[in-house]
Parts: sequence; structure tokens; C-alpha cells
Amino acid sequence: MILGILQLLYRLPWLLLVSAAALVLIGTLALYSASEGAWSPWAERQMVRAAIGAMLLVVVAMMPTPWLHRLSYWGLAIAILVLVALPFIGTGTGATRWIELGLFNFQPSEPAKLAVIIALARYLSGQTPEQVQSLVSYLPVILMLGIPFGLVLIQPDLGTSFMLLMGGLAVVFAAGVPRRFLVTGVLAAAASAPILWSQLYSYQKARIMTFLNPEADVLGAGYQITQSKIALGSGGLFGKGFLQGSQSQLNYLPEKQTDFVFTMIGEEFGFVGNLVVLLIYFAILVSVALTGLRCQHRFGRLLCMGISFMLFLYIFVNVGMVTGLLPVVGAPLPLISYGGTAMLTVFLALGVVVNIALHTKLQDSDFY
Amino acid sequence: MKKRKEQKELSTVMTRRMLMLGAGQGVLGALLVGRLYQLQIAQSEGYRRLSDNNQFDRRLVQAPRGRILDRKGRLLAGNSEVFELRMLPSRISNHQAWLKRVSRLITLKPEDIEAILEKITEQPKFLEVTVKSNLTQRELSRLAVLSPVLEGASFQKSYKRIYPQGWMTAHVTGYVSPVNKRDIDGEPDLPYLPETRIGRTGIEHNMEPDLRGLFGFERVEVNARGKPVRVLRDQQANPGADAYLSLDVEAQSFATERLRRGRWQAVPVQMPEVQEALLENEELRAHVSMGDDLVLKDEKGRLVPPESGAVVVMDIYTGELKVMVSTPSFDPNLFSNRLSVRDWQRMNEHPRTPLLNRAISGLYPPGSTFKMVVLAAALEAGVITQKTRINCVGAFEFGDRNFHCWFERGHGLVDAEQSLERSCDIYYYQIALKTGINRIHDMARRLGLGDVSTLGLISEKEGIIPNRDWKLEKRGVVWTPGETVVAGIGQGFVLTTPLQLALMTARIANGRSAITPTLTTPQMTEASPSFPPLDVSPDIIRFLHKSMRKVMAGGLGTARKHDINQGMAGKTGTVQVKRITKEQREKGIIDNIDRPWKERDHALFVAFAPYKNPRYAISVIVEHGGSGSSAAAPIARDIMDFMLKSDGVSA
Repeated sequence: MILGILQLLYRLPWLLLVSAAALVLIGTLALYSASEGAWSPWAERQMVRAAIGAMLLVVVAMMPTPWLHRLSYWGLAIAILVLVALPFIGTGTGATRWIELGLFNFQPSEPAKLAVIIALARYLSGQTPEQVQSLVSYLPVILMLGIPFGLVLIQPDLGTSFMLLMGGLAVVFAAGVPRRFLVTGVLAAAASAPILWSQLYSYQKARIMTFLNPEADVLGAGYQITQSKIALGSGGLFGKGFLQGSQSQLNYLPEKQTDFVFTMIGEEFGFVGNLVVLLIYFAILVSVALTGLRCQHRFGRLLCMGISFMLFLYIFVNVGMVTGLLPVVGAPLPLISYGGTAMLTVFLALGVVVNIALHTKLQDSDFY
Repeated sequence: MKKRKEQKELSTVMTRRMLMLGAGQGVLGALLVGRLYQLQIAQSEGYRRLSDNNQFDRRLVQAPRGRILDRKGRLLAGNSEVFELRMLPSRISNHQAWLKRVSRLITLKPEDIEAILEKITEQPKFLEVTVKSNLTQRELSRLAVLSPVLEGASFQKSYKRIYPQGWMTAHVTGYVSPVNKRDIDGEPDLPYLPETRIGRTGIEHNMEPDLRGLFGFERVEVNARGKPVRVLRDQQANPGADAYLSLDVEAQSFATERLRRGRWQAVPVQMPEVQEALLENEELRAHVSMGDDLVLKDEKGRLVPPESGAVVVMDIYTGELKVMVSTPSFDPNLFSNRLSVRDWQRMNEHPRTPLLNRAISGLYPPGSTFKMVVLAAALEAGVITQKTRINCVGAFEFGDRNFHCWFERGHGLVDAEQSLERSCDIYYYQIALKTGINRIHDMARRLGLGDVSTLGLISEKEGIIPNRDWKLEKRGVVWTPGETVVAGIGQGFVLTTPLQLALMTARIANGRSAITPTLTTPQMTEASPSFPPLDVSPDIIRFLHKSMRKVMAGGLGTARKHDINQGMAGKTGTVQVKRITKEQREKGIIDNIDRPWKERDHALFVAFAPYKNPRYAISVIVEHGGSGSSAAAPIARDIMDFMLKSDGVSA
């Protein structure tokens, strides 16, 4: 028994867990600063959510891996059902994205990303080598990916839907989809881009245009990006100090507690502070990738691949957005940004990774 | 077996693809780090400046302008606190509706609203826009009641220049008006703020550097909504210095009213006949529309506006100006905020030019008041003695021209003293000729004519005291003796200002020092040693005093009816503004009062008093007022009486 526990402790991906804890701590401090040095309204609630998230992580990590395998399609089915129902039960300004749960606003598109990855990992890991080469066998993939993508896109939520799509495609790519299908897919996507553009809402177009030329509209959509760059840049190497970020504390920086929290960290702790945060993320990504490489079953490998790419996308899109490399699409910074759903989704995903790390010796055949 | 191999191959492919994705992430991650380096290290300096700009709203703090006070500390120009309403566009969803709501509480013209809306579109939404400055008490209280529900409204305190004496001292104080683009071009350090005011004329202009004070600088830390969080004072605002003038408001007030009334009778403006006259008399209408309700009735029963002209009273020892009146005048308060087009037109199109400060910028031939200069020059040159007699037969033939005496029948045989007492023109034609224009010029300059004074007021005119060189230089032709003849009675080329005539009189009265006029710094010591000597022989001065006394006290003196108890010495002057032709002279000269106003003679009078112990010099000019003795002398008498009496009270 004691030996079992020790074995379990030994197999735990410590780097991942410690890094996640560090990020939660940094996030809490950032939110404390974002409310001008106060625990309410954000920091204290963030801690409560992190605690709930940690419990979810433990639950997911401890469940037998085959359960995960078995539940995967159900998960996707539920995610799709909720997305379909969202227009009738959800709320949101301009776009219907949330369900008010009282404790927090639940954003179904976030766990949907994870559900898509798990479901795809299950389906693709079950493919025989012949099926991998067969176009027909990818029809379910297109449905599993296309339906949630379409549902999120029409909410409308351009950013999340693309992140969902990219996360799923990463799994497909990792599963070994033949190169010819990849090339065809990319060409098809390129051809449909103009059609998609014409279907975009004007604010979405504006955001993309703003991204291309933020200075043209300093007080409108470009305002956020301009102020974010000013805040980051004025932080310099070591930053202005904790609670001393004038851009953030004087409210020039919009959404500093959610999407622009990285900017706030940059203003108060400078290049060094930002680099530390990115290094911790790097540690998590490496840890997830190593877990995947060590894993002997394809389901686990694809899951790790998908989850690592999903996490990477969160980070890249968020940091790219606040530094003005990408358009403002509304992507949270995992475990740091204030926001319940994204945080719980990341904890669930990390739970999946820990689960796999604990059961690397399983074989593909064990799932059937 | 084959299946196994395929499985293995697939596994290799998967691993390879995982590594490829990892590498892709690495590249993109490196891109992010590079971007952060670019923003936070390479371009940090520039962003830090932008951040400071955000954080701090650098602004200038208005320094209250120095006050202008009279010699007894009475306020001529001061500052009143005014409140203005501002709006913060970023807090207001519908600007037009907001302004419409506000316009129900305060007066806002449609063009004002348009200008405000335009301003809102021009500047960032988080900067405040002035909706209305100078809110009245009533507007303020109306707005205050509603301010809790008036989102985005704020009140700001500022200063407005006020002139409690209004038009009575307008020509002395001058006025201020908002700073404009040209001011900034000329003086780049000047703060270009809507509340910055620049002195344009008078003391406001003359003492601008002292009055303006030093603007303060402060940095207001503002949040993104433009709300101040903290204020850092970088430089305290320094109020401008007060200016104490030599002017005596009481005397100024008396002199103004006395000059305006002239010889006529005041008529209530409400009377039907006045209202009727207003319909047809454009000049009267222009006058009343300036907000002045003094209407006079002249000896022919015609309704006329108050007299226009100037009065200057100077202390003959210190040069202090106690009175400087120019009528008509204007309300300097109108300029303090943006002058309305209508007010500007009223002032500009007024036939009697209220903006002209006649005391220093009005040019008039001195007429017979110039005779002291000619007499002194002749005595000094030795071309006559105090006993020299000349026979006046009413005209003097010189060249092919006949020069007439104002007294057509002729004065008969007059000596020097009588020539001044009775103002015999023939006497002066002849002695001027003998003295020559250059020596007259020299004496005139010594007595303070023909040059701008030390007052330093903008727009002061130097006038003309001609000599041979001047003629050659300005007109390109040589001086002719005939011109000396007319200069002998202060006409022809000779032009002076009322201030200069007062100065001339003061120097004659003083006799020793070439005093200079001053408005600003009271010079407390009598016979201040800082004045250079006058350099006119005491004999001549004494003779001038005696002769000028005869004007008032002699049996035939031109101003014999207008002496005062303490005794006054003076000289009348009546200036033709239109040459009398030969035919007119033969037909008989039309009475002054029957001519159009513009063609009537100017009435002048200069004097000093008390005769025994001179204290003040005065010059009075009533434009187109008639003769010096009938129109100007009584005014001078009353004002001088007032001056001496109020001195007696205070002594």
C-alpha cells in the first residue's frame, strides 16, 4: 500500500503540477494587482476556482484510463448538445457564448475544445494502418471537428472556433494523416477563406482590419492593442513594480484581469516577468510532450499531443494578441486569466495528462 | 507480420509528426519572446514616454491677473471667479441629446451646440469639452440641481477680467482679449489656453508682463476616463502684480460727466421726442445702442449725443495724470470673453469712434493754445520784448494772401500781454514770421509737443511740430513763410494731442523742470530731481504766467467769465476745421452752431491753477464744440474747481 503510494508519487509528472501551481499563484497575484491591490473581486474567486479545478484534476487523473476512452464520444456528444442549446439558454452581449450558472458564467466552447480532442484521439487511435490511408475513414473526423467548429463560429466566436479547429487538426496531423490529404485540406481552406470573410460580422472584420493597422483607430478597436503595447513596452526589463503599473492601475489597459493579464504582468514585472511566465508554460508543454512520447498507447499519445497543442494555442494566441502580433480574438491565458470555464478546462486537460502519465504502460489493446 | 510492421511505421510517423508540431511550437514561442524583446527592451524608451503621456495630463494653471487700482486703491480692473460647464464625451452616449437637455437649463445657441459637437469629434473622447463658460448664478443653480443625473458633466472654476468702472476708465485700463494664433507666433512660450488673456490696449497692454504673472505647471495623473487621481505641482502659479495708477477715479468720473454734458441740457431718453429722434438720427442711434442713455438738447433745441473730446489733468510737479478722459468710450468688459460680432460692429461703425483714445491718439491743431509757445520763442529770440506793440486791423496781408484775425474789426494797438489776453491773431502772425519756424519748433519741443510721451501706451501719437527740415523730408518741398504765419496761431501743419497740451501747460506752470507724464507709478516727492531742467528763462515763464492769468482775469480776457476762486491761468483755443473761403467771408461767416457738426470748430482750453501756487495743469478739447471760451473753458473751470476742492477736503 505504502509502496503503491510511493510508486504513484514517483510517477506523477511533478514538473507539470508544480508549474501549474506556480501559474495559479502568479495569476492570483496578478488579479490582486488588477483590482488595485485587493483580493476582491477577482483574486479570491480565482483561488476558489483553482481549488475546484485541482479537485477535478485529481478526479480525472485517478480514473482508469479506459473510462476516459469509453466516455470520450459521450463527452463530445454532450458538448455538441450544449452548443446547440446555447442560443436558447445562453446569454452574452452581441454574441451568445455563456450560460449563467450563478457561481460563474459557463462558456461551453472551452470544454468543447477538450471534448473534440479526446474524441478525435479515441477515433484516430483506433484506426488500422489501412484506414489511416483511406479518405473515407476521415469522414467521421470531419463531422467530429466540423460540427462543433461550426456551432462556435456562428455564436459568433471566431477566435475560439479557430482554436478548436486547430487543436483538432493537430490531433489529426499527429495521427499520421497522409500528406496528400493535408495538402488538399489546406487548399480547400484557402479557397473558402473569401467566402468565410463575407460571412463575418462587421466587428470581426473590424478587429482583423485593426490588427493589420492598429494605429489607424487609436480610440476604437485599436485602442486595446495600442494601450497594451504601451503598457508592455513601458515595463522595460524589470517592470514598474508590483501594483505600480500606471497603465493598468489607471485603467488605460482594458480587460486587464482577463485577456490582457499578460500585459499587466509585463508592465509591472517587465521582460523578465513575462519571460518567467513563458518559461513556466514551456515547462508544462515539455512535460505534456514527454508524457506523450513515453506513453505506449496511441490514444494517450494523441491525447497528449492534442492537449499540448491546445495549451500552446491558448498561450500563443493570447500573447500574440496582447503584443499586437495577432488580432484581438479574446483568448485567455491558461491558469492566469480570470475566467472560470477556461481554468476548469485547463485543469481537466491537465488531469487527463496526469492520468496518462500514471498509466504509460497500457497498450492499445487494453482499451477494447 | 506485415500488420505489425505497418503498426510500427505508423508509430514512427506519429512520433515524427509530434516532433514536427513541437518544433513548430518552439519556433512560434521564440517569435513571441522576440516580440517581447522588441517591445520591452528595444523600443521600451518610446513606450515609456507614451505611458507617461497617458498617465499625466500636463496642464497650465492660470495665474490670476494683477489688478489695476486707482491712486486710492479703488478697483479699475479685477478678476471675478466664473464657473464653466464641461462635458466628458466618453461618458455620454448621445452627445446631441445631452446638449439638448442642457440647453433647456442654460442658454446655448444652435451654433454653439454645433461648435461643441465639432470639437468632440476633433479630440479624444476622454478629454473634456467646454460647453459654456461664464455661467450665471441662475444657470449654475439650475445645473447643480440636475448634476447628479447629468452624466459626464463637470464644473470648472476660472477667472474673468472685469472692469467695474466700465467705459469710464476704459481708455486708461484698456482691455484684454483671448490669446490668438498670432500671439503665440510672436511669443512661443505663451500658454495657448482658452482662458489666457492678453492686454491689447492701455495699461493692460503696457504693463502686460507684470500683470500677467507666472503660469503654474502641474501634472494631473488621470485615469483612462480622464478623471484626475493625483496632482503633482511642478511650478506654483504666481499671481500677477497689481498696478497702482495715478488716476483719481472720483475726478475721472466728474470730468467725464462734465465733458459729456458740455453746455447742453440732459433729456430723459424715455421721452417720446427722444424716441422719435432715434428713428431718424443715425448718430444718436449709434450712441444709444452702445448702452448710454445720456441724450442732450442743444441751444437750438436739437437732440444731440454727449460731447466727444478729451480731458487731461496732470500734477505739474510729478507729472502724474489724475484724469485722462476720452469720450465717447466703450465697455472693456465686452472684450474679456470673445467679443460678439454685433458689439464689434457697433463700436467700429460708431460715427464718433469710441475705440479711439482721444487723449493720446486724437490729433488736433492746438489753435490759440499754441500762442504761449510762439510768444516764448519770440521773446527768447529777442525779436520782440514784453513791451512790443503791434497794430491789429483785423487782417494781415502777406504775400498775396490776407490773414485774418478772429476779431474782424481788429484789436487795435496791442502789446505782448494783451495779445495773449485777447488772443490777437495778427500779433502772432507777425512775431511768428520774425521768429522763424525753426525757433518756434525748438520751443514747442522743449514744452513737450511733437513727441510721444513717457507713458508708453500703445497707439499714442506724436503729433506734428513742423520745421524746415520736416517739410523738406516729408513733403519734399521747401518751407514757405506763409506757413510760418499760420503756424503762429497753431494751425496749418501743427498737430498735437490733448496729453501734449496738458504737458505743455504743466511745464509752463512748473517753469523749472521738464516734467514727464506718468500714469502708473505715483511719484511721491514734489519737484522730483529726476526731471531735467526746462531751460526756459524764468523771465519768460513769469511773463507767460502773467499773460495767461490775464486771459482769466483781464477785463478783455477771452475766458474772463470762467475763473475760479483760487485763480486760474489759461488760454482758449478755437480751431477751424474747414477753411473759410473769401466768398463765405464776404457773405458773412455762418454761425458755428448752424454748420454740420463735422464742420464746426474744435473748442480747446488749457490752464493751470491755483495761479499763485500752481498744482494742476488741465487741457480740455470738445470736438466740434464751438469756441474755446464758451465750450471748453467752463468745463476746465468746473473740473479744476473739483480737483482743488477735493484736495482741500483731503488736506
